[in-house]
Amino acid sequence: MTDAILQARAAEGDVEAYSVLVRRYYSMCSRIAQRMLRDPEDAEDAVQDTFLRAFRALPRFDHRKVFRAWLLRILINQCRTHALKRRRRERRLPRDEIALRDTPSSDGNGASAMGHDERERVVAAVEALEPLLREAFLLKYVEELEYKEMAEITGASISALKMRVKRACEALRPRLEAIYHE
Amino acid sequence: MSDPRGDPLARRAAEVLRREQTDERAIERVMAALRERANGDAPEDVDVDHVTPSVAEPAIPAAGRFSLTTWPALAAAAVIFAIGLGVGAAFLAPRETRAINADGATREAAPVSEAANAAGGQSQLVEFVLVAPRAARVSLVGEFNGWDASATPMRHAERGDGTWSVSVPLGAGRHVYAFVIDNSTWVPDPQAPLAPEQWYGERNSVVVVSGGPRS
Repeated sequence: MTDAILQARAAEGDVEAYSVLVRRYYSMCSRIAQRMLRDPEDAEDAVQDTFLRAFRALPRFDHRKVFRAWLLRILINQCRTHALKRRRRERRLPRDEIALRDTPSSDGNGASAMGHDERERVVAAVEALEPLLREAFLLKYVEELEYKEMAEITGASISALKMRVKRACEALRPRLEAIYHE
Repeated sequence: MSDPRGDPLARRAAEVLRREQTDERAIERVMAALRERANGDAPEDVDVDHVTPSVAEPAIPAAGRFSLTTWPALAAAAVIFAIGLGVGAAFLAPRETRAINADGATREAAPVSEAANAAGGQSQLVEFVLVAPRAARVSLVGEFNGWDASATPMRHAERGDGTWSVSVPLGAGRHVYAFVIDNSTWVPDPQAPLAPEQWYGERNSVVVVSGGPRS
């Protein structure tokens, strides 16, 4: 069933129709939120808020528009908002607490791979990117969106997004070369 | 020759990131929350149609309402030379600058409303100055050059005091900018007001160019 049919039903309050859309897009939203917020709990909160807000706003959604781009725009806003709230919260935390929380081995897995595992190292490299570069990289490379859709989602111009993606790739290169060429 | 499909290493990394398992329990939690709210709450007025940071508007005057000459706090390192229509130069700050505050590092900010820059239509030449004695290269980035670190390189003063400067024509309005040192470190202007936190909490500097000459 197409997004258009599902979103039309969901707009009339059909939660089951909406649940199909949630299942269809949850992974994409979760991938973006996890990398942008670098915290599983914050990411899940942001994704949940996104789906709840989208559901409430669906009756006013212009159904000629693309549901995915609209949903991702809400998600990006949620990620930005959560990141900002967290940053403000962290200002009130002693630096040691932040350092402990951000230490790779403090994730509850005990002796984590400390970057030896390919996936962990790739995640660490991407998460080290500046946020707007990371956002553009995730949308372009991981979610494989076109620049036009990215512009709609992020509110940035296509030229700015191309520049961010280019800078992201340049910034990633040394770390990825270390992962794949050593 | 660049790969039309993009950077091969980046593609490889992206493939790894796409291999994320879907958390079925998290989806169930979303649906449970939805059902709960669908049964109870009336629809709220949710503004989801605009990409806007959820932060307060800047406590900075609207474009054209103040000139730098009447707002000393904005003088900072940006020095405006009015051009066109015989407008005299308006020096708004001493040119001496301070060393960069290492804690003031900033990152790229998303463009702010371009509408703020539309007023007036008359460009003024704004000089940006930064003291960075250890830098090999400094450039100016802002919404006016698409945050492109290669677009506006700054010149190193010959007197050897570590001063870098560049002048760019800016239209009336509010302009958000930062400096990029050695192509890698983004810093706000230590002598200019900071723009409000946006997007992911990054900070940049702001300068407001007045809409016209002031006597």
